[in-house]
Amino acid sequence: MGRAHTLRDIAIGCLVVAVLAAIPWMLPGKAFQDFVIRCASMALFATSLNLLVGYTGLSSFGHGLFYGLGTYSFALLMQKTTVSLPLAFLLTLLISAATAVVVGAICIRLRLIYFAFVTLAMQMLAHSVIISWVGLTGGDQGLQGGIPRRVVAGIDLGNQYNLYVFSAAMLVIGLLLMRHIVATTFGTSLRMIRDNETRAAFLGISVWRVKLTVFVLAAVFASAGGMVMSLFVSGAYPELINWPISGDAIFAIVMGGVGSFLGPTVGTMILLLLNDVVTRQTEYYGLALGIIILLFALGLRRGVLDFVTERLGGRPAGGIH
Amino acid sequence: MDLDALLDCVTTSSCVVTQTVSGLIVGMLLFLVAAGLTLIFGVLKIVNFAHGTFYMLGAYLAYSVFVGTGSYVLGVLAGGAGMAVFGVVFERFLIRRVYGANVLMQLLICYAVVLICDDLVKIVWGPDFRAMGMPPEFQVPPFFIAGGVVPPFYLVLIAVTLLIGGALGLGLGLTRVGKTIRAAAINPDMVSALGINTTLLYSMVFAVGGMLAGLAGGLAAPVRSLTPGMGFSILIESFIVTVIGGMGSIAGALIAAVVLGLIRSFGTIGFPLFTEGLMYIAMIIILVVKPSGLFGKEIV
Amino acid sequence: MRDRVGRRTVLVASAGLLATPWIARAQSNPIKIGIQSIFSGPIALLGTSSRGGIQPEIDRINAAGGLLGRQIQPVYRDSKGQPQEAARVARELVNTDGCEILLDAEASSGAFAVQEVVRDLGVLCVHSNSETSSLTADPKLRVATAFRSTRQGVHDAIVGGAHSAKVATEKKLSRWATCSPDYAFGRDTTAQFLEFLKHFKPDIEVVSQSWPKLGQPDFTEVITKILQARPQALYSALYAGDLSAFINQGNVYALFGAMQVFVPAMGDLPVLTAVKNLPPGIQSAARYLPTFPDTPANAAWYAQYRKANGNDYPTNWSWESATAMRFIEAAVTTAGATDGKKAAAALEGLTIDSPFSTTGKVTMRAEDHTLIDYAIGWGTTVPQPPFVTGIEPGDWGQIFELETEWKKKNGYI
Repeated sequence: MGRAHTLRDIAIGCLVVAVLAAIPWMLPGKAFQDFVIRCASMALFATSLNLLVGYTGLSSFGHGLFYGLGTYSFALLMQKTTVSLPLAFLLTLLISAATAVVVGAICIRLRLIYFAFVTLAMQMLAHSVIISWVGLTGGDQGLQGGIPRRVVAGIDLGNQYNLYVFSAAMLVIGLLLMRHIVATTFGTSLRMIRDNETRAAFLGISVWRVKLTVFVLAAVFASAGGMVMSLFVSGAYPELINWPISGDAIFAIVMGGVGSFLGPTVGTMILLLLNDVVTRQTEYYGLALGIIILLFALGLRRGVLDFVTERLGGRPAGGIH
Repeated sequence: MDLDALLDCVTTSSCVVTQTVSGLIVGMLLFLVAAGLTLIFGVLKIVNFAHGTFYMLGAYLAYSVFVGTGSYVLGVLAGGAGMAVFGVVFERFLIRRVYGANVLMQLLICYAVVLICDDLVKIVWGPDFRAMGMPPEFQVPPFFIAGGVVPPFYLVLIAVTLLIGGALGLGLGLTRVGKTIRAAAINPDMVSALGINTTLLYSMVFAVGGMLAGLAGGLAAPVRSLTPGMGFSILIESFIVTVIGGMGSIAGALIAAVVLGLIRSFGTIGFPLFTEGLMYIAMIIILVVKPSGLFGKEIV
Repeated sequence: MRDRVGRRTVLVASAGLLATPWIARAQSNPIKIGIQSIFSGPIALLGTSSRGGIQPEIDRINAAGGLLGRQIQPVYRDSKGQPQEAARVARELVNTDGCEILLDAEASSGAFAVQEVVRDLGVLCVHSNSETSSLTADPKLRVATAFRSTRQGVHDAIVGGAHSAKVATEKKLSRWATCSPDYAFGRDTTAQFLEFLKHFKPDIEVVSQSWPKLGQPDFTEVITKILQARPQALYSALYAGDLSAFINQGNVYALFGAMQVFVPAMGDLPVLTAVKNLPPGIQSAARYLPTFPDTPANAAWYAQYRKANGNDYPTNWSWESATAMRFIEAAVTTAGATDGKKAAAALEGLTIDSPFSTTGKVTMRAEDHTLIDYAIGWGTTVPQPPFVTGIEPGDWGQIFELETEWKKKNGYI
């Protein structure tokens, strides 16, 4: 990845934000904006999970812990303290990073399915704490009362359109940063660990340190996604830190493709579209979704974007085996 | 926390007897589900996230057969047999296609099956909960041992689950098929090289696993509520049991299930608001200290 | 470069797929009413039995020529019980589907989320299932165009407390235990019940409290814990499937012979008919019963519901949702418009005829937008139909008095 590629990526990113910003002028109706905001939040989260799954070979079942932590930390900082929104944003990233250092230090020693289970247990524990600590978190009712002080540099994020552009920009910035991360030598180390941990260690890579670093980075991006969701729902709900949220992200990356950088983003769009369209048509949402998943999973046997890539480029996708 | 209450309880015989029986019944039913889960993982290295669905379908089948015939025994047997068949179908048409695939792909397939089955149950039996009710032959008052309350129905259940567990242990330990299954768990390539039909073997493992979960569902149906989605909480607890006991170890699952049942029955007296949290903490500690669980073999 | 392909795919996908569901539909003649609830998962009965109450009302209105001469077109939508989904669905129903009115049949967690959306959108909304008192009692949460057509937690606690205190005095029950689901609804209703029980009978003692998880498959350890405490009376806020499992497992331990049991959620037909071996003598609130109020109007509604819904039983949610639809009908007719402000003004203080009241009329109280004068009472279970007998209606004068006191204590007025 050279400088030219980076510049090109940035240019494309700016273009995407500009196009998205223009769409509501042509297509009125707030539902599209709602969709993009939710999509931005989930895509950040899913792509961050793919840093672990697709690039490092760490199958986490509990990544939603950091997404939920992002929503709760941010909403609580805004409600209970007087810090400004950007500062609360940065503090939330710090809180997530610090938590991820502790959780990661415990979890990454474990391999394969055991890593998956211990991360899931961590998330369930966090969920129990949120549910039990009614005084701080509102328990199962969630954190109500809205998010105050949403004006940043004269822009009111309480306004739907502003939040929409902000979310799109967050997604693009987040994706560019993660793209940069996987393009560096650090990214190369990740793939070496994924392909053969022992060989990576022989080649002088400090496996433990690299794994912990990527775990923390993934947590930071996941919590950024969580904050977008917190702004969207004006608060935080325990469902946002419960296990199905991790399931959604796993769904998004497996459906979209673990071997392509934009796979999780595509998967997120598929997931949300399925959710929005299918729930409109039938109350047997699970039946419809289940059948679609089976068709995809057994038919393509890989994510949509990986499948397209292989068909068009003939190049074997990276990803997991 | 209410440590005084806990201390009071463990020093009175009536409380110890009552809570021990109650812990055993919770634990033993959990063991049946967890045993299938751990067996499937041990042999096939597949984490069957749809195992709770087997339990649910077993319970519903038992319910329908009980309503139709009035026989609880037939209901339970139908639940077990039905789920054995379902296990084979599930293995042959779905799971077989993702052997060796990433665990996330397996998770996705199982998740799809859970979604589909929950909705099918809703279509067939309705969105409302169903209750089988106690079969007439078990509508007898509890008796007392050392002042503790012991319901006869639960004694029967504990005995039946012990019998099933014992038969499973003996079957795996003594029969030819059992030995092959254990060998396949250790080295599937070698078993295959010896000319043994591993395809058939894998189907059988799923049949046994499904049957155990179906039996558990049928056995529990008289006292538990049947709802679409009832398999989920059972699945989570079975995972805790299998992970603590060591994935692949049936003896480990038995011990972990009983320990978990006792933690619940005594924990609810000592720590009424944190029983759930205790289970997750126990699981994390065990995974960190001994990643392969209490009785698991190291798998890398 | 495989990512270039990816990006192109994304752009194509966004252009092609994304636009389809949101191309704004032209507003046609019918009045669209957005109806959201939980139609999937373990509490899908909430949605299906609410719809069972709503749809016959809509059919009746449409058969009679519609509302303001326009046919009503319901748009049912599943939130799966998640607050963030509930908020999104509410927004989408109004913004995309062109619904002019919301009938929110969500459980409490969803209803609070919908309330905030209604605050922004300003449409008429009637909550038909959330019984959490603060939704309308707390002035900070109240919304000008949102109403509630359901029974309310604090009303139930007052009537339950008064009735239970009377039974406790007669039978000399002073040692009490509680067993309720471990979440906000369970904790709040239990605390409110005990508060009013002690108001009417100060000399009771709570000897044991258990908090099983929602949807917990096995309650055995909780049941034996209650037995250990040897209480004379037990209060439980468990409901639906959990309640049924609790009763079946309690029977195994002969729990119901060992103490007097008070269960407000018992008096609902799906529970009463599903529980086999229903123990006699449980004290229960009448959630919905065809025999309470014992009037021809209620019996007729019951018969019509079962006929319209494949012989299913109506639930408490069915009458509450049917009531919501009848209030919407009356408010829009009175106001001559579906506009949020005008219809809300008409709905405030409105009284309509209703089968679900001992007086034959229910009222939407103007000051806090919540339902009053509905049928509320406690009775004793028997194993055969009518399942609950000797139902003693609550005294609305007493309810108002204590409710006002309760509101003052919580700083709501």
